[in-house]
Amino acid sequence: MGYEPLVKKNPLRVLNLAGNEKKMGLIMARAGLGKTALLVQIALDAILRGKRVVHISIGENLEKTKLWYDDIMEVILQECSVANPHELIDMVQRHRMIMSFKESAFNRARLEERLNDLILQDIFKPDCVVIDGFDFTTMDHKDLEDIKTLMENLRLQTWFSATSHRDDDRVSPSGVPAPCHELDDLFETVVLLKTEQDTVQLEIIRHNSDACSGDSCQLILDPATMMVKKDD
Amino acid sequence: MNKDLEKVRNIGISAHIDSGKTTLTERILYYTQRIHAIHEVRGKDGVGATMDSMELEKERGITIQSAATYCSWKGTDINIIDTPGHVDFTVEVERALRVLDGAILILCSVGGVQSQSITVDRQMTRYNVPRIAFINKCDRTGANPERVVSQLRDKLNLNAVMIQLPIGLESDLEGMVDLVTMKAIYFDGDQGNQLRYEEIPDHLKDAAEEKREELLDAASMFSEELMEAMLEEEEIPEELLHAAIRKGTLDLELAPVMIGSAYKNKGVQPLLDAVEKYLPCPTEVKNTALDLDKGEEEVTVSNNPKDPLVALAFKLEDGRYGQLTYVRTYQGVLKKGETIFNTRTGKKVKVGRLVRMHANEMEEIEEAGAGDIVGLFGVDCASGDTFCDNKINWSMSSMHVPAPVISLAITPADNKAQDNMSKALNRFSKEDPTFKTFVDHETGETIISGMGELHLEVYIERMQREYKAEVEVGAPRVAYREAITQRAEFNYTHKKQTGGSGQFGRVAGFMEPLEEEEYEFVDEIVGGVIPREYIPSCDKGFQASMEKGLLIGAPITGVRCLINDGSYHAVDSSDMAFQQASKGAFKEGYKKAGPVIMEPIMKVAVEGPSEFQGAIMGSLNQRRGMIVGTSEEGNYTVVEADMPLSEMFGYSTTLRSLTQGKAEFTMEFSTYKQVPKSVSEELIKEYEESRKNG
Repeated sequence: MGYEPLVKKNPLRVLNLAGNEKKMGLIMARAGLGKTALLVQIALDAILRGKRVVHISIGENLEKTKLWYDDIMEVILQECSVANPHELIDMVQRHRMIMSFKESAFNRARLEERLNDLILQDIFKPDCVVIDGFDFTTMDHKDLEDIKTLMENLRLQTWFSATSHRDDDRVSPSGVPAPCHELDDLFETVVLLKTEQDTVQLEIIRHNSDACSGDSCQLILDPATMMVKKDD
Repeated sequence: MNKDLEKVRNIGISAHIDSGKTTLTERILYYTQRIHAIHEVRGKDGVGATMDSMELEKERGITIQSAATYCSWKGTDINIIDTPGHVDFTVEVERALRVLDGAILILCSVGGVQSQSITVDRQMTRYNVPRIAFINKCDRTGANPERVVSQLRDKLNLNAVMIQLPIGLESDLEGMVDLVTMKAIYFDGDQGNQLRYEEIPDHLKDAAEEKREELLDAASMFSEELMEAMLEEEEIPEELLHAAIRKGTLDLELAPVMIGSAYKNKGVQPLLDAVEKYLPCPTEVKNTALDLDKGEEEVTVSNNPKDPLVALAFKLEDGRYGQLTYVRTYQGVLKKGETIFNTRTGKKVKVGRLVRMHANEMEEIEEAGAGDIVGLFGVDCASGDTFCDNKINWSMSSMHVPAPVISLAITPADNKAQDNMSKALNRFSKEDPTFKTFVDHETGETIISGMGELHLEVYIERMQREYKAEVEVGAPRVAYREAITQRAEFNYTHKKQTGGSGQFGRVAGFMEPLEEEEYEFVDEIVGGVIPREYIPSCDKGFQASMEKGLLIGAPITGVRCLINDGSYHAVDSSDMAFQQASKGAFKEGYKKAGPVIMEPIMKVAVEGPSEFQGAIMGSLNQRRGMIVGTSEEGNYTVVEADMPLSEMFGYSTTLRSLTQGKAEFTMEFSTYKQVPKSVSEELIKEYEESRKNG
């Protein structure tokens, strides 16, 4: 495809997302740290590798979600020169579908129906689904297991985002904060975003179901672009 | 004239057909003493009533149809601007919405939020128009204001909050409880013109308290003072609550809901109070203009009468005294007898007669200040033109008009229709810059073109209705274009020897694709290998070639032609010879430059019940569409897609049968894109066949 240099810039390269089609990942952070930006990066990473992505946006409208992509694409295009930017933008549009839901309109049954609509009618065959704004507080272990099974049956890689709260200090043994502290075994990968002065730190708590610790799992991101900060 | 801008409201009344816009406008004009009697529809038998209502509409036609009507309520000047009834996107709708500062959204208490309300409301959101909802016809059987409020929330995504509670419903509708003052309001007298305030009836006290809590909760988001007062459990001053509701409304974060029955004369005066209290005055709305001297840089209009004049012509009307132009002034003062200039044409015009429109008469005025809406007579202009005095050169709307994407041939049925048709076409093209008309020289047909199938249908309909011009309509044609994809060299010699003086010219250089612009000519001739006087001839020759492409005869866009070599003959070279040589050169280069066919792509939004989402997406997918995304709210879905225009003909029928008539779609032009290979081959074949046959 010729977009490999762009793919390499992605902070999530380190997670080695390619290949593992049946897995669930989770990005957690407090409000406003850039969960959506990171999810969009994950989606773009897959798209640039020629995959198709469904972006599910709960509680956010279609227009705003599109803007996220436009903004991040703009940054990418500024940082790396691409011979034919229009072609790239067009390619991204063709490999992406956004579904936005009002909070009350989203549930597992609806998700299954929508994904089946797409796949069975041959409208769009996704390889990866990112779900932004999913409400974990009303979920129990069983509900999420259901969703996991659904996604596995459809052979979809799935990424969620979840908001943690300052005043809720419950944490799972492996370090996953509430509201996902009791669900962490369902995710193969858990990534935590934290602020440190004027940078955003990306900490990988679990990866391919192994608990991680130490400096090797930490990355520094530029808060403006959510790209990996170059070592000075 | 009232110069205090705080006391001016420019509002629109938008409504679904049959939800009572006529009656409400009538009542507003009566209560504001613009008309002195209500032409009541009193017939006890059904036949009489409908007859009456038709006559009433006819008689009042001028009131309701005139683009702006002025009235005054408790010292506030209210200009009611007609919001167009047709919903598809045209420049006209956009303009009407631009001059509004606020709007009343009328809903039927039985029918609720209907499809047209949705479209109009979405446009209002797009133009940031604050609005009050008025649930009308609460006297009708089946009235259910609560249901309408929840539809406002679900379907329109408005933070709708009732500020009134009905006292009785259907035939028992007596009046309403004002949740701000916590008083019951009754309407006495034949025409309901006497308001009687009483204590809230006992059986409604609890309900009223509960609804007031909801109102306070919603309003407190916009006022810290109010929030504090609530936390301290203090008595909440009326003014504080009004201010909070107003702030929420202006921020487009809150939509106050009022109820009533215009027909039964209930609830109209409180609605007028709300217009004054909650809708913005001209200074509270940010309006921007484009500074034409600074490359269309955005500037904010000041609303200050002392600044140079900026006024927008938003609607034209054929009146008894010639063309009546409705204008809104944004800053400065429009004075009778002064000279103003039209920033689109650059022409100076003198302000002859200046009038304020009343229900059924006009009042001559001397001047109109910022924020005002008035009529001008005898000014020749098109709708959307901006007038300034000669100190600034601003435009309220962009000078950039998108090129039409679809065309139709129309043939008048008879001679009379011919006359009327040309009158109508003349008028429409003045009103709407995206509507174009011309005569095809090859076929002699009159062609109209515009931004979509619906756009043209509206005008054909208007032609028949307003101008009595019966026309036969041909099949719609998509405005394809051709473009090149790569750089190509040319070197062409035009030589002709037919006795007498011959023709000679050689042109060499290259052409390459050009983004954004249509055409550019670059002259890099050195040493006079092509004499100076023939350079423009080359330019002309290239431009002439651009009019008709070689693939399907569509206009070519986005080409830069550069010439850097050539030769001439002292006797045989001429303007004509170099034009011919350039045409030849263009042809030569074009074939090598990877020519492609481009087609208009439309941004389509299909709305309907969620159960049909799969079917809707399937239908779009079949038509070569690219689905951008979907959004679901409750049981309602919007599917957005980029669709080739050529695939959208007849889509409304398909959609209707697919969804039992429950879904509808809107469409607007987005961009031009290259057609896929298979389609391109098809088009080329078709074109070649038509050339063989014709």
